[in-house]
Amino acid sequence: MPNKDVELVSLTKRFGASTAVNAIDLQIAEASYCCLLGPSGCGKSTTLRMIAGHEDASSGDILVQGRQVTHQPPSQRGTAMMFQSYALFPHLDARDNVAFSLRMRGIGKAERNRKAQELLELVEMQDYLSRRPHELSGGQQQRVALARALVNEPSVLLLDEPLSALDPFLRIRMREELKRFQRDLGITFIHVTHSQDEALALGDQVVVMQSGEIRQSGTAREVFETPANEFVARFIGGHNILVSDRGPVSVRADHLRLAPGAAPVPAEARALTGTVGAVEYQGSRVRVTVAEDAADRRHVAELEDRAFFAAPYALGAQVQLSWMPADEHPLAAAGG
Amino acid sequence: MIRHSPLSRALQILMGLFLLFLYGPTITILILSFQGPQGGLTFPLKDASLHWFASLFEVQRVGDFGGSLKRSLILAVLVMFVNVLIAVPAGMALRKGFRGARTLFWLTIASLIVPSILVSLGIGLLFSQTGLGTSWYTSAFGAHLTWTLPFGVLIMIGVFARLNPAYEEAAVDAGATRWQTFRHVTFPIILPNVVGVMLFGFSLSYDEMPRTVLAGGAYNTLPLEIYAMTNNVTTPVLYALGSLTTLVSFAVIATALVLMSIARRRTGGGAALSKPSEET
Amino acid sequence: MRAAPSPSLHGRFDRLLPYLQIAPLALVLFVFLLIPLALIVVVSFWDYDSFRVIPAFVTFNYTEMLGSPTIWRTMWSTVQFTLITLAITGALGFAVAYYIAFYVRSPVMKTIFFMACTIPFLTSNIIRMISWVPFLGRNGLINSMLMDIGLTAEPLDFLLYSRFAVVLVYVYLFTLFMVTPLFNAMSRIDRSIIEAAVDAGASPLQIMFRVVLPLTKTGFAIGSVFVITLVMGDFVTVRLMGGGQSASTGLLITNQISCCNILPPAPMRSCSSSW
Repeated sequence: MPNKDVELVSLTKRFGASTAVNAIDLQIAEASYCCLLGPSGCGKSTTLRMIAGHEDASSGDILVQGRQVTHQPPSQRGTAMMFQSYALFPHLDARDNVAFSLRMRGIGKAERNRKAQELLELVEMQDYLSRRPHELSGGQQQRVALARALVNEPSVLLLDEPLSALDPFLRIRMREELKRFQRDLGITFIHVTHSQDEALALGDQVVVMQSGEIRQSGTAREVFETPANEFVARFIGGHNILVSDRGPVSVRADHLRLAPGAAPVPAEARALTGTVGAVEYQGSRVRVTVAEDAADRRHVAELEDRAFFAAPYALGAQVQLSWMPADEHPLAAAGG
Repeated sequence: MIRHSPLSRALQILMGLFLLFLYGPTITILILSFQGPQGGLTFPLKDASLHWFASLFEVQRVGDFGGSLKRSLILAVLVMFVNVLIAVPAGMALRKGFRGARTLFWLTIASLIVPSILVSLGIGLLFSQTGLGTSWYTSAFGAHLTWTLPFGVLIMIGVFARLNPAYEEAAVDAGATRWQTFRHVTFPIILPNVVGVMLFGFSLSYDEMPRTVLAGGAYNTLPLEIYAMTNNVTTPVLYALGSLTTLVSFAVIATALVLMSIARRRTGGGAALSKPSEET
Repeated sequence: MRAAPSPSLHGRFDRLLPYLQIAPLALVLFVFLLIPLALIVVVSFWDYDSFRVIPAFVTFNYTEMLGSPTIWRTMWSTVQFTLITLAITGALGFAVAYYIAFYVRSPVMKTIFFMACTIPFLTSNIIRMISWVPFLGRNGLINSMLMDIGLTAEPLDFLLYSRFAVVLVYVYLFTLFMVTPLFNAMSRIDRSIIEAAVDAGASPLQIMFRVVLPLTKTGFAIGSVFVITLVMGDFVTVRLMGGGQSASTGLLITNQISCCNILPPAPMRSCSSSW
């Protein structure tokens, strides 16, 4: 990675006796979209807040564009933060919100209004200059928050669960917009989320965290296709953890094949038997949950809807699950 | 929900009676304060007049009404400002936490619930024993603060508990200094509540009597003057005084409510003061 | 407290700031609360003659007090006042808070009702006491009404300057100290809990006593602390409304102070009355 916008070196955060972030190392490429993904309490937000400077690092270093910023105040790091629920100043209108930092620096009214207007035009909010936050919809608030964060021309934009305040439809639209802004602006976005869909859809780089540690970092496809360990495979979803002669492996749910109990299995395939425990219709796909006979484990096969309805399986039916060795992906030891 | 039962009817009637109970007497003395010169302390109203209001201002007849009113108003304004200037920073400190925060919190609670007569007696003792002497603007001023501060501090604790720290972080992110953050972000958001604290400071001081009684010094505040008058005044002038005092209180409350609603409208109906669920 | 923002301009000033912010409060409470209360305790052990208090350790202030039947009677009377007031304000406060919290639907009306209950707190207590005189007096509204409808031939004397009047005014003045914490506690109850109770077939009374009442215990506790300390420390109401017929510890303290010219007998009495 030749040009890095952000580099974390052995970054640690302790709250009293508990460790929220445990000596993580991370490099984020220039002008990329990076998603920090993990369950709540995994340390992703704390990591983001340390990069922003709203949380002091207990130890380790934070570099932004090669510059050591670990002990710099937030406004001098070249980063800007977009808060979860946006934190738009409720007593100021959209323009004054965007112009806020210029006002703090003592820049004249005409100049800061011009700049604020320019940014609000960028996010297509020029018609809402004098609206207060509570007079704006969630999506509009997000755009104003984005404009406010961009006013100081940061090289890194930090987004804390930016889509969680929106309803599902708007969430997908604003998701597209975020990605477009990132590409157009050519700066790095670091986006904290607990949603796998969001991370896979947006991330050039997806960083999966658990218990204050990074479990895997890579491109979205790498993380989904080749989860590094059991945690990532389970958290990212759509995978089954199976045991083969190579040890624990993950196999994507859509790579599992389902056949009636007595059907012959292709020579090279691996197979196990079980009973159908649940059938969930999901539109283009059908999820069939199979309880393994030999062990207390459940596996999920995702079938194409037409294939399923051509030969449906009833609850309690004896079935055979099989997969090709080529679809197996070996996992590191659990928790590793 | 739980509607239309004999219980709801009973509670509704009780509520009505309770409001009558709360406001009936006040309204009655308001009416009786217009008693004619020959009228007594109770109904009937003989020839409505402003006689008793006029006699309020004749010093010889009813004691030092003008002076005590002036002292009470000055003291109330003083307490209002000092109270808010102490309570707001105290609320910020308690929000951040510091060594001894619990002790100070409980001390504040103690200040609220220790019987007023004890506070008054203790302050009276302190000022007389040290030779400073009691007066309405020293010892009574302090006595009033022991009564208004708990309300101010508790209100501010509640406000800061609901204030989303992200607003201040956003300000810091934008390069605001600590003072700029307070001046341009925190203060405008908490302004309605600050007005509320000022209302409490003024009103509680203006009407304070049990804590002032042994700490007030030679010159009476208005409530003490009224207390003294109950001994020897048996005319409706007492009602005129009561009506006037209550009117001042209501005017202050109304002003504060108007200011609060203006300040609140600016921030979108206080929606800013509700913290989103926290995520690590 | 992790919730507070931690701007990263750390350093000595940052750590010092909360102490600077709390200092004025600490100073006021130290000078006007702690020292005065400590002084009362100290002086209660001092000797005195008719002109001054003498700083010498004695205990006869206490022995004298504990041996006085008047004192015991007064304290018992204060306890009675407290218990009666507590019971009435508790029941009334609960009913009123319950009505506002659960039967008033619009948030605006809720606010108006709640404010109507609390605004009197911001007006003069002593004036509010005096306003009962035209009602309770021998020729007052209640007596004339009772005689008009023929319920009594003679005016009732127990209405004003009596224990009845004292309790009435206590209820009048202090019920809002119950309403406020109870209303707060009730506002915090999740509405779906009430709906679940309705679904389970609970009657309105069962909801009130089996569901809401147990969930408002803290409200009662806070309200009770207020009512108990206010009644125990009161002397104004007892003097104005009791008309010399009734006594209270608070009144006894003020009487001691005014009749003795000097302070000692009062402080030690107050120490024992403030538990």
